[in-house]
Amino acid sequence: MSVIAPLLDALRTTIRNLGRKPITAMHPFEPRTRAPRYRQSFALLHEANGDEACIGCKKCEKICPSEVIVVGTAAKRESPATGKKRGWADDFTLDLQACIVCELCVQVCPVDAIVMVRVPNAPGFEREDLFLTMKRLYENEALPHAPAIGSSMIASHNPAPASQAQAAAPAQEPGT
Amino acid sequence: MNVLFGSPALHALVLGVGIVSALLGVTSYFIWFERKFAGRMQSRIGPKHVGPYGLLQPIADAFKLLIKADITPDTADRALFNLAPLLAVCVALLSLAVLPLASGLVIADLDVGVLFFLAAGALTVVPTWMAGWGSNNKYALLGGMRAIAQSVAYGVPLVLAALVPVILSGSMKLSDIVAAQAGGHWFALWPPGPGLGAGVLFVLASLAEGNRIPFDIPEAESELVSGISTEYTGMKFGMFYLGEYVHSLVVAALFVTLFLGGYDGPGPDVLALQLLWFVLKVSLVSVLLLWVRWSYVRLRSDQLMTLCWKYLLPSGLLLVAASAVWVWWTEQGGSR
Ligand code: SF4
Ligand code: SF4
Repeated sequence: MSVIAPLLDALRTTIRNLGRKPITAMHPFEPRTRAPRYRQSFALLHEANGDEACIGCKKCEKICPSEVIVVGTAAKRESPATGKKRGWADDFTLDLQACIVCELCVQVCPVDAIVMVRVPNAPGFEREDLFLTMKRLYENEALPHAPAIGSSMIASHNPAPASQAQAAAPAQEPGT
Repeated sequence: MNVLFGSPALHALVLGVGIVSALLGVTSYFIWFERKFAGRMQSRIGPKHVGPYGLLQPIADAFKLLIKADITPDTADRALFNLAPLLAVCVALLSLAVLPLASGLVIADLDVGVLFFLAAGALTVVPTWMAGWGSNNKYALLGGMRAIAQSVAYGVPLVLAALVPVILSGSMKLSDIVAAQAGGHWFALWPPGPGLGAGVLFVLASLAEGNRIPFDIPEAESELVSGISTEYTGMKFGMFYLGEYVHSLVVAALFVTLFLGGYDGPGPDVLALQLLWFVLKVSLVSVLLLWVRWSYVRLRSDQLMTLCWKYLLPSGLLLVAASAVWVWWTEQGGSR
């Protein structure tokens, strides 16, 4: 009968598997190789002149589909490095518990202030482990970054001809 | 009825407490074994971190379940909701009362033992429906209704399958059924045909009664969240889980008793040896059941009903008729 053969086949497959070695990767206890676009956690960056790059524009907060980012915008004041007036964020929190790793927050950032990093902050043993405060986000700056940054993404979405789009994109490079 | 300790009441009490606590211990390690076994079948490792080979995992799990929040939904029927998990375990344990573990080692050797465990088996649907109704949740309700349909349907082939050993041995007493199979005349092997067929039928029908994969449509995670146990947390959820596993162990034990000669095995008739044979056979059957469980996907509701009413029920009737003919033929002077 056409039913019996697949039923026996299923039994044979499972019993054969019983003798095979498990393929479990013991992450996070053992390191594993990651795909080139792998990304997990977040970092906030400084500009080359030492200023915090985030201008508190709340674009990332608004676009986040899971609404896990909260930006506290501070009043405009002069930058100690350049002397020009600019925006600042005095608080920034990102709750990894509900983050879906869509990277939209990175894509909208006009000043390349937020990037994703390749070293996971998850899994953790407590909820607080997954709650990225501003302090932790700036600490993450030293970790290896994922390739995407806001300005390159915005440029690639720009309907203007490639030559103009290049000129329109901010010349800033993300910090190290 | 032969009694080991003084009065029948004392005998039942001592054996009952002993057997039930032993079974609960065995069950928690059976769960550990299943997790390891299923893991290997799926190229995973299974429990690993708590103790060597994850051996302390059942204890850790029990503690975890105990310290979890115990939530009763506002709209739930409190009495039904809280009683259901308790009953689920109790009902699963009921069949143990008539199960002979070795000659004389049985809590209550009823004359209608087969009838008793069939009745107890049919009761499993009551706590399931209590949970389904009491939770006041659409998924639980759907799960409960499915459980009733399934249980009513599969109760019939279960009765027919259990009838075959009754006809062959001429008794409803489980110790008599075991005695009739003494010396290797196990019903699964002899008479060829009806015994084995009824055995397979019995296993299929009891798996369905106990809502085990591949017949777990009342739980059906992919359709009904978690079916009847959707609203349960902590230890109450754990009790449903426990009840399910106790049920599957009891099914294996009943299968061994009815079709594989119970505690019958080579060697002298000493209690310890009989117990050993019984435990060995039950373990073997349980592992076979696990193998089946982790090899198949869940049946659809309609497939489940088709399987029962179109295939299992007619074959059950046939098997009963065949075994009746066999008994008549041997009594006419045919060879055994
Ligand atoms: S990756 Fe997506 S979900 Fe996560 S914080 Fe950024 S925008 Fe929100
Ligand atoms: S991280 Fe970028 S998008 Fe978010 S508030 Fe700061 S500047 Fe704006």
